[in-house]
This record gives sequence, structure tokens and C-alpha cells, in this order.
Amino acid sequence: MLLSDSIQYRMQKSSAAKTCGCCSITCWVLFVLLCFAPNCKGEDHIVSPDGKVADFNRVIRPILAKHCLSCHGRDDASRQADLRLDERDTAIASGAIVSGHPDASELVKRIKSSDPDLVMPPPDTENPVSQSDRKALVRWIAEGAIYSEHWSFTSLIRPPLPPSNSWSSKSVDRFVYEKLKSENLVPNEVAEPWVLLRRVSLDLTGLPPDQKAREMFLANPSEQSYEQVVDYLLGSDSYGEHWARMWLDLARYADTKGYEKDRERVIWRYRDWVIDAFNADLPYDQFTIQQLAGDLLPNATMEQKLATAFHRNTMENDEGGTDDEEFRVAAVKDRVDTTMQVWMGLTAGCAKCHSHKYDPISQKEYYQLYAFFNQTADADRGQPLMKSPTDSQQQELSGLEVELKGLEKEYTQADPVSDQAYEEWIKQFDSKPLWNHLELRDFTSESDVKLEQVQAGHYNVAGELPEKDIWVLTMGVTDSREITSLRLDTLPKPQGGRWPDKNVALREMKVEKVDAAGQVTPIQLVNPRADFSQRGWEVQRAIDNKPEAGWAFSPNASQPHCAIFDLEQPIQMAVGEALRFTLEQQYGQGLVLDEFKLSSSSYPVSWLKGDVEALANLRELYRKEVDPRTQRLAKAIEGKRSKIRSVQNRIPSTPIMQELGEAKRRETKIHLRGNFLDLGESVAAQVPAQFGAFPEDAPLTRLGVAGWLLQESNPLTARVAVNRFWARLFGRGLVETEEDFGTQGKLPTHPELLDWLASDFRGQDWSIKSLLKTIVMSKTYRQSSKYSDEKLSVDPRNELLSRGPRFRMSAEMVRDQSLAVSGLLTHRIGGPSVMPPQPPGIWKSTYSGEKWKNATGPDRYRRALYTYKKRTSPYPAMTTFDSSSGEVCQIRRIRTNTPLQALVTLNDVAFFEAAGGLAKRMTESSSVLRQQLSNGFEMTLVRQPNKSELDRLVELYGTLEFNESNGKKILNAAGLEQGDPKLVSLANVLLNLDETLTKP
Amino acid sequence: MKNFPFQLKKLRAETRRQFFGQTGLGLGAMALSALLDRDVFAAKQAWSIPSKVKSVIYLHMAGSPSQLELFDHKPALGKLHDTECPKEFLEGKRFAFIRGVPKMLGPQSKFQQHGETGQTISEHLPNLSKLADDLCVIRSVNTDQFNHSPAQLLMHTGNPLLGYPSMGSWVTYGLGSENKDLPGFVVLSSGGKTPSAGKSLWGSGFLPTVYQGVQCRTDGGDPILFLSNPDGMDRASRRQTLDAIEDLNRFQHQTIGDPETLTRISQYELAFRMQVSVPEVMDIGRESQETLELYGAKPGYVSDAESAADPRQLYKGDDATFANNCLLARRLVENGVRFVQLYDWGWDHHGSSRGESIDETLPIKCAQIDQAISALITDLKRRGLLEETLIVWGGEFGRTPMMQNNVNTVLKPGFIGRDHHPYAFTMWMAGGGIRPGSFGATDDLGYYITENQLRVRDLQARILHQIGIDPHRFSFPYQGLNQRLIGPTEEGRVLTEILG
Repeated sequence: MLLSDSIQYRMQKSSAAKTCGCCSITCWVLFVLLCFAPNCKGEDHIVSPDGKVADFNRVIRPILAKHCLSCHGRDDASRQADLRLDERDTAIASGAIVSGHPDASELVKRIKSSDPDLVMPPPDTENPVSQSDRKALVRWIAEGAIYSEHWSFTSLIRPPLPPSNSWSSKSVDRFVYEKLKSENLVPNEVAEPWVLLRRVSLDLTGLPPDQKAREMFLANPSEQSYEQVVDYLLGSDSYGEHWARMWLDLARYADTKGYEKDRERVIWRYRDWVIDAFNADLPYDQFTIQQLAGDLLPNATMEQKLATAFHRNTMENDEGGTDDEEFRVAAVKDRVDTTMQVWMGLTAGCAKCHSHKYDPISQKEYYQLYAFFNQTADADRGQPLMKSPTDSQQQELSGLEVELKGLEKEYTQADPVSDQAYEEWIKQFDSKPLWNHLELRDFTSESDVKLEQVQAGHYNVAGELPEKDIWVLTMGVTDSREITSLRLDTLPKPQGGRWPDKNVALREMKVEKVDAAGQVTPIQLVNPRADFSQRGWEVQRAIDNKPEAGWAFSPNASQPHCAIFDLEQPIQMAVGEALRFTLEQQYGQGLVLDEFKLSSSSYPVSWLKGDVEALANLRELYRKEVDPRTQRLAKAIEGKRSKIRSVQNRIPSTPIMQELGEAKRRETKIHLRGNFLDLGESVAAQVPAQFGAFPEDAPLTRLGVAGWLLQESNPLTARVAVNRFWARLFGRGLVETEEDFGTQGKLPTHPELLDWLASDFRGQDWSIKSLLKTIVMSKTYRQSSKYSDEKLSVDPRNELLSRGPRFRMSAEMVRDQSLAVSGLLTHRIGGPSVMPPQPPGIWKSTYSGEKWKNATGPDRYRRALYTYKKRTSPYPAMTTFDSSSGEVCQIRRIRTNTPLQALVTLNDVAFFEAAGGLAKRMTESSSVLRQQLSNGFEMTLVRQPNKSELDRLVELYGTLEFNESNGKKILNAAGLEQGDPKLVSLANVLLNLDETLTKP
Repeated sequence: MKNFPFQLKKLRAETRRQFFGQTGLGLGAMALSALLDRDVFAAKQAWSIPSKVKSVIYLHMAGSPSQLELFDHKPALGKLHDTECPKEFLEGKRFAFIRGVPKMLGPQSKFQQHGETGQTISEHLPNLSKLADDLCVIRSVNTDQFNHSPAQLLMHTGNPLLGYPSMGSWVTYGLGSENKDLPGFVVLSSGGKTPSAGKSLWGSGFLPTVYQGVQCRTDGGDPILFLSNPDGMDRASRRQTLDAIEDLNRFQHQTIGDPETLTRISQYELAFRMQVSVPEVMDIGRESQETLELYGAKPGYVSDAESAADPRQLYKGDDATFANNCLLARRLVENGVRFVQLYDWGWDHHGSSRGESIDETLPIKCAQIDQAISALITDLKRRGLLEETLIVWGGEFGRTPMMQNNVNTVLKPGFIGRDHHPYAFTMWMAGGGIRPGSFGATDDLGYYITENQLRVRDLQARILHQIGIDPHRFSFPYQGLNQRLIGPTEEGRVLTEILG
């Protein structure tokens, strides 16, 4: 019976073959599990030699994960033979495991079987269980097959501190020391002061120590002065810039949108928010809440909304014809994946297509989490954006507004002298009105309408309005006058009649002067203004010689309106002369003038405002145009207003998250096999069950998700965070797989230390600066990084922390250090991204037309995090040193060591200019060559060279020889007008030393 | 220091172990070590399968050439020319630009059968026609992306989204490089612009950056970025400075003992060697006149199109950029480069503006590639390299049997175009052990595949297989998955039974 079952299931191989190969192995054969008879001889020792119980998490789970769980794990869809080995109860119920009896356990029989049809995993997966792993499983079953929860999913409990020891009483060191002791190792001695200072400065600020830090510590390298310098570094602005860079990798920050067009996206205000948050030591819980759900906080501030740009860093596709929904969905999934990766160190991405095979996230749970993020207004189209002034813009604006208020107050204050002068002034309008109407002398109409005069200067169409018309009006004056400006008044049309639309469309207006002899001269009209214009039908379009549009005033057609046109050259009109107006009103639908008036003025055009009431605000006019005191003030006010406008125009608009209104909320359905067009059942917003319940009373929004991440029952958030900071300082996390705290990830090297740091982090109100200070104050951190033969063999990867951390600096640090050392670095926080020199021809993007322009001046020498990042064409010098392109969340960078890196630091103009700067500093520091070289060395490496090092540099100086022409070229390439090309080469050497490129 | 070389070798091995451990990415590190020092790369990998093929030259026509004018002859489409497209082809379909009911567009070129295999090839490719018996023409390729950027990404990285390693990165990760003085994965571009998806097409995604494609530039600047010394720094002086760097690094190593320092010393040495080896291999002026003429290559040629805002306006049939790149491709594989990727931009023939039409632009683009590609095949063959070099040619999708109608509704010379068509298009392979012949077929209008569909994943599986990598076993652990070029499912088929 057994055999036939087995064969039968073998035949199902092809249909079962559609399992997911991404999760490593597939196996086809049924685990037949009926034999309980203890018919095998016990051949393995089941008593553990050390008497310890096999550690499920450390030893057994990895074996099961590697060999069994992809087919016998938690994913229902790919499970074979209906067998689960990831849960004790089901494994035992099925007979796969018989607690205490390895020989009776089907699992053991199968992994040991030599029958190719029975052995597990199946031979075609080429994944046999090794001898030692088999032994471990046997021992574990013999001991009772105790399962325990995956370490990182268990509650975070502050572990007790190990005892103080002869090396150190600091908490971190006690844990480290215990581990070293168990391996019979002793820690390294404390690093030399210059090494330590350079290390801690690079680690905390990304820059070598400045003069002040050097003075603070090197003169007296005591415990107190070390703490003092640590506080100084944590307090410097460079601190925020450095750690922001780390976070921007996670946020997949870039200055463009990605995909084909890869156009610019203005989102640097978010980058600056991150810098400010680090510098202000915004607690990690606030830091989290604001980025995930700042917009949902009550009375959210601009800064809190700005933080939500974190999740607007997802890519957008502007290519013609793309389906916005497809890329909106991709962005939402990216937000789910990134949130889980960044805060919980889990790879939720697998669950897009099927339930996670190893970690407790089912496909349904994935889409339940997705449902929270599926409710924002953005949809691959750039919007929504928020005006987000910088601090300096805000300051500038509020300064300007205060000044404006002061000027306005002064302007409107009571002034009896002026009042009296005004009374005199207005008298002139009695004899010479501001506007004087013109009289109709002749009229022609294409559609033969007639005009009738309703009162002096007012005319209207007799009878029904035509559908469209062109009028030629010849207008005369009753007295000879100067004309500076012309005015058209229109009155509302009466209700009823043939044309329901009461708007007017004056598409073109032309004016000519006709003198007594009939000579016609065109008149240039300028500076058109109206009390109101319809959108797209602004009054200037009536005199632009383009008939498509003109002046109209929907939706305000039921009110009177006026338009004023100044004459480019004022004219003198005699009684016998006339003005000929041609009014093109050919739009149709009866949008033709009805009652109107044409007038002229002789006054300065600045007195003539586009107000329907021509004589309104004469007092204001007097202030603005006549009274010298208030005239000056008015100019100043206009100046301020225009400054305010120009500041406002410079205010960047930043993409932010914005929740959809109740009525627009989206329904979330499972995407079958991850395909957004193939939808399954509807799901409601919920968090994965394994990691603590959704906080009570929390809203079912992203805000609630943030709360869930941060609540004490969430086992991962604090662990993941502290591990990340640790990793940046030590080059490797206590959990090496920073991106995966799940069952597939590596186990922590110092689990208790990790938990202690995590609970301390919570206890210190999530203060990142406190956490970093705790770590850098430890003796573990302060160890020398020297390799002894013993340690190279016992602890080759420094997993035991038996020496100080030494590794090549990040791309950004390599650049920033060379700029700092050369004295070229521009110290300026924030602002739009900049374009330091890169070789020509790097950007050849399709269509976008955006260009890389090498910065000149201070922007050429900004820190690397301000370098413009185009996703499809990132800055080459930086990617060569493993920086991210910002396309997706990057949890850690894999450090490489390649010849292309050497070419960058040797030859890239940015680095060669740094060499020029350093050479200049060396020249200025002394007149003696040996001293110059020694100083340059110290500027770079914070220590003096030893004799052989200095001798070698001096020797190089002696052997180098440049003819005049080459010498000039070198200086030129290094950005120097004069100097010593040999010294530039020496500086180039200093900037390329292994020690320089490495955090010591 | 006398026995330094020995010491270096020993310590370099330690460095390798160091790297191996540090990254926790075992296989990647092995391949990296291979990249750095090929003689260590003797150990066979689990994914390794026997193959004579050493290199791939992938010719990507960015924008996607029309299969209906080049390889897939449809006389029946000619009969429906200028009539409205049957409804069944439009229902439920989305196009990039076509709106409403378009008209059918008959073949805009003449075809003939060539060679013993009787391949039907267009008049626009007269030289290639003569090599018909060397080609395996696949007229049934299918993709599920119909916009350039995602379709190109799918073709080269196996995923329409950004952030995945390109095929060239996968291959160098898997096989290392044959030449330790040259990068293993080289990219050359022509046509005046980089493809839509940009440098992500040769990015290393989640693989270590050491596997990313190195774009060699042919526009007169450094062939590899930053390869040249700063102006005025002659080679002898560079040597002297590097000697000093090395000595100081050695002092540092004596004090600290970090094996990484020794790796850095050797990388600086490699950089120094590359300063000579790369310009040498990139110098087509070293080729004989006969070879240059064979390709139509011109040493030192820089096309005006390469720096134009809209290069399409400047396309000429005798533009030698692509020909130069083909010749370079041969020089590179000859020197042990594993994967040479050519991108030629300017094949997106919608007919909606000047310089992108089937009737005017396509023949010019064909003239730029026809002689060059034919020369590449001929040259590899006569040097005995064709069997160990796989050549792949194609775009990211095909073009519609309908005329594109969003700009012109009537046929107008210089504005005849076709829209993007993902359902069926033509690619071909040559050399590298691929059996020449025809594979797959489409319906009478060239709209759908009727026989032997070849999906992008199948193609990728095939390429990997051909160069000696089992595509199903070849993976890299990332984000909890064993990531593969051919994606997570079992779709990618190698199709040995048909393709030889």
C-alpha cells in the first residue's frame, strides 16, 4: 500500500511542478507517514555529549528551513502531502516526528533512506541533509523535539547585565566580554588617540575631525575629553547630514521619478527634513510616526506632512500610454515592502504572490497590510504636492511681511495736510473729467445691426443681438483734447432674447486715428487692463492680433465691466478728427456687445485704474500717484510685495501622502499571483497576526500601523533599529542580515547585547544620539583594529568583536573626506540638489531634455548627499563605491573593492581638485618640504607620519619630474593657478592611501 | 619585501575568504574572487553545465524595429492595407498611442527567401540575407510589457520594475571573467541616446556592484570613466606615485594586518594595467583595412548624432558608430570579455514625427546595422569564434500590423508608422551552438503567435543555458528569496529540443 501510494504521488509530479522555484527547492514526492513501528536499529548517538538541549532556533530551524519548509512549511499553496514541519503539533500528529523516538520518526527515516523514491528531500532537488545535520535532528527529536519561537519574534525583554569585569564596567562591554571569554580571547587595547578620534568623527559626522575636535581630544586624550568630543560631534550639523544619508538609502531617495522619462522630482525638502530630524534628535518613535503618517496627526504641521514624502519617493512612470493604475499599485506595494523592511527587517515582498514560505505573513495578510497604504490620493501622476517653504524662506517671508505691515500702516495713517491738498487736487476733475466719453459719428455692422444712444455716450443694439458681428465705430470728440488712454465700458445685457449666454467675446479690437483729411494712422494700444477677465480670455488677448480668443467675462456676465487700453504715444485730437474702432465679435452664440460706452482720458495713465467706478478710490489714487510722501511709500510697498511674490515662487512643492476622503476610499482585493489585474477576495485593513495585535483604539489608518510598529508588543522594531546603527559603526550588524530578521536571516552574534540595546533604546525615549553615544563610549568600539594572527584565525570576521571596526568608507564619506581635507568643502546645510563635475556625456536620457551642468562656485564642493541623483543615471563616482541608485529601498550596501574605485580617486576631477586644495594647504602650512609633507599627511590622517612613511613621501617628491608644460597642466587639472605640481601629485597619493579610504 | 608576490598571493586568498565571509553571500563572493583572479575559479558551481560557449554579444535595437518590414512577411496584411482593423484585434487591448479604430498597414518593404533554409528576409537587410543559413530566426517572441522602459527592463533584467540585475551581471556573476585586465561585462551604445530604461539596464541590482556593466564610451573621451590620468600626469609619474601608494599601504598592512589592504594594492595595480589594456582593446585602428571595410568601421569616427538633442534628425545610412561597436564587440570577446551588450537607439518608428517612420527612418537604420552585423558574424566565423560566441538580436517588443493613427489618419510619406506590439515579434540568434533555421510563426496578419511561442523568460533561460548556466538553479539570495533571472516561477524554458 505504501509503495503504491508513493508511485501514485510520483506521477503527480508534473502537476505539482508549478511550485515557486524562487523559494529555493521544489519537491514532488509525498511524505508518506504511516509507519510508526520502531523497526530500525538505533544507530545514532542520541545523547548529546555536552548534555545541552539542541537549540531549535540556532541549529534545528535552519536545517528544516533549508531542506524541508519550502514544501512542508506555512505556505498552503505549495505544501506537499499536506504535511507541515514548522509546527510541532502538526508534525507530531502526522507521525513525521515521534517525540523522544528518532527511529520511529518518519522524518528521520526519510532523510536517511537510500531509496531514491523515498529519500527526502527528493534527489532531483540535490539538497541532501548532511551527516551532521542528520545527527542534530536525531538528537533534537530524542530530546523531545522542542520547538521554540523564532528568536526575533519573541517579546523583547531587557536581559540582565553580565557582571562587571576587569576590562570594562560599561554595559555593552560586559556582553562582549562574556562572549570573548567563552572563546578564550581578550579584547584589543584601546586604539591610539588619533585613530580613535578619526574613527569616531568619521562615524558620527562622516567627516574627519575638524581643528576644534583635534584640539579638544588630542592634547589630552582622557576619558572626559573623549566624552566631550563625542558630545561635540553629536551636536554638530554634520552629524545630521551623515546619518540622513544612511536613512535616504532606506527611503529610496532620488531627485528623479525613475523609468523612461526619469524626470525631475522636487523632493529635497524631505531630504532636509531627515537632516533636521537627526540633528534635533527627533525620537525614533516620532521619526517613524511622522514619516509613515504625519499627515494623519491632529492639526498636522507642515513639517509633519513633509515627513510623509518618505513614501512618495516611490517611482513614477511618465512614459506615454502607461497605465497609471499599474504603477500606482507598484508604488503601494513598494510602500508595504519598504515599511516592513525598514522597521521590522522582514521581507514581506514574497507574500505578494503567495504566502511567505518561512515567515508568518500570509498572502492575505500582505494585502490586509496593503489596504492601509492603498488609501492615498497619489496615483502615478505627481500629485498631491505641498508648498513647503524652507526655514530661511519662512524667515524671509515673515521678515518681509513685518516690513510690509509697517509700511502699510505708515501709508494709511491720518495726514491732515495731505487731506487738504487732496481736496484741492480733486477740483480739477470738475473742469476736466478723468474720463470723457466719445461720440458716435459713424457705424457699420457686418450683420447690419443698428445702434441707438440711450444716454450721453451710451449706445446699445437696437433690437435682437446678432449671432456674431464685426463693428466699425467712428468716434469723435466735442472739444479738442489730448488722449493718453481709451476705455470701454460694458453693461449687463437684459434677460431673455434669443441668446441665453449673456457673455461678450471681444476677440479683437483695433483703433485708428482718422484726421480731418481722411488720413488713417493706426494706434498702438498697450498695457491693457480690465476689472475682470474670464480665464483664458484675458483682456490682452483682445489686442494680440490672434482671433482665437479675446476679452470675455464669464461667469460674471451679469455685472458691468470695463477695459482700459493706453496709447503707446499720447495723441492730440481735434474736433474734426475721429478714432475708428474695429470690434471683431465673431465668436458666435450672440456673444456681442449690447450697451457700451467708449471714453478717453487725458490724465497720466498711472491714474487710470481698471475699476468700473472710474472715480472710486481717488483718495487712494492721490496717495499713490500724487502725494510724494505716500507715493514713495507705495513704491516701497509694491517692492516688498514683489519680493514676497518672488520668495513664494521659489518655495518648493513637495510630494506628500494624503489620505483619500471617505467617499473615495479604495476597496482592496488580493492580487492573485501578484497580478493587479487578477483580483481575488476583498480584504479589510489589518496587520499580520504574529507581531502583536493592532493597538486598541488606534485608527485603522497608517497612523495605527505606525502605532503597531512602535508598541511594546512589537518584537522587531527596536531590535532592527539598533542593529542598523550598530552595523553602520561596526561594518556589520549584530544580526548580519540587516534586511532579514526572519527565519531565513542570520542569527544574532550577541543576542543579549542586541536585546539590551533595543530595550535601552526604548528606555531612552528612542533617542538615537543616546544610542550612538552608548555605543561609541564603549570600550568595544574603542579597541584598536589591529589583526593578530590568533584573532585572524579565531575571529577572522570580527564577529566576536575582538578588535575595533576597520573597513572602507562609504562612497559619500570618501568624497566628503577628500573635500574636507582639501579645505574645499562648502559647509551649507540643505537646499536643492547640486551637480558637481561629472564627465560629459553621462546623461543621455531619452527625451527629457534635462541636462547636467557642472556646478561652479560653492556648489561644486558640497557634501555627497546633496549630489543630484538621477535614478537611471546616478553619479558615476559614487556608484563605483557602491552607493545606491535610489530605485528601491536599500537596507545595506555590499562593500566592494575594485580597480574602478582606484581610477575614481586617482583621476576623477573632483578628487584631483581635492588634491590641488590639499597641496595648497600644505604649501601654506610651511616653507620646508619635509614639513609640508608631514603636515599634509596629518591633515589627511590625523596623525603624523612615521619616519619611513615620511621618507618615502620625500623620496617620491625627489623622483617625480614634470616639464613645464605638464606641470602647468597638472595645476590646471587640480584647479590651481599656481603652485607645485609635484606637491599636487603627493596630495593625490595621500588621498589614495588605503588608510585614507578606510575608517581606521 | 622580496618574497612579496608570494606573500601577496597567500594573503589575497585570505582576503577572498574575508570577503566570502563578510558579505554572507557565498556564491557571489566566489564569483568575485574569480573576477579578481580567474585561476581560482576552477571549482564547478552547482548551476554549471557543459558548454563551449564563452561569450554573448547581445545586439539590442532600442525602440523596437518592425518585424513586419524585416523578418515576418505577411502578404495577407497587404491585402487589408488601408482598411479598418477588425474589431477582434482591438477589444480589450491597450496601445501606447493608437486610439479608436486604426487602419491596417501592409508590409512596407519587399521580401525574398534566402539560403538553403529559405529564410524570408527583407530587402532592407541585403548583407544579412546572404548569411540566412547562419541565423536562427524566431518569429514568435512574446512579452507582456508594451512600454519601452518596462519592456527593456523585462528583457534584460527579467523584471519590468527597476532594481534587478541585468543579464550581463548575472552571467559575469556566474562565470567570472576570462581576462583579468578587462571588465567582464561591457556595454556599448549608439544612436545618440541611451535606451529608455537608462543605465538600470546594465545595473547589478542586488548583486554586488562589481558585476555591473561597464559602459565603454566611443565618443572620443575615456573608453572607461576616469581611465585617463589627469592632464599632465604621464605614465611614468603615475607609476612612481602608485609605487609610493603601494609602499605606504604595505607599511599600513604591517601595522594593522588587514587583508583588505592587500586587495586594495592589487586593485590599484589592475587599474594601472587597465589604463593600457582597455584603450588597446578599444582601438579599432589596430585592425586591418580589409577588416575595417568588412564592417564599414571608421576609426576615430564620432557621429554628429551622438551629441544632438534629437539625433534622429541626423541619422545617415553611413553612420559608422554601430559598425565600430560591432568591431569592438569582436575585439572584446576575443580578449575574453564575457558579455558584450550593444544598444542602438532610434528604432521606435511610430511615424508621428520626422525621423521615426517605417518608410524613411527604418531603411536608414537598417543600412547602419546590416553590413556591420553581417561582418561580425563573418569575422567571428573565419576566426573560429562563432561557435563560442552567442549573438542575440532584437528589440523589446514588436510593432502593430495597424498603422499608428494618433497623428496622421492618412498615409503620408515620412510619417508611416506602427505602434508597440507585445504579442508577437521577431528576434534572431546566431553562433553559440544555436541551430540555424526558423522557429515559431504568427497568424496571417502577424498579430498573434500561432506556433511555438517564445516568451522573454524562455529566451533568457536559453541564453543562460547556452553559455553554460542552468537557469533554474542559478540564483542569488535576496529579500528572503532565491532570486533568479528567469523569475520565481517555472516559466522559463530552455527549449533545447527545437533550438539545438
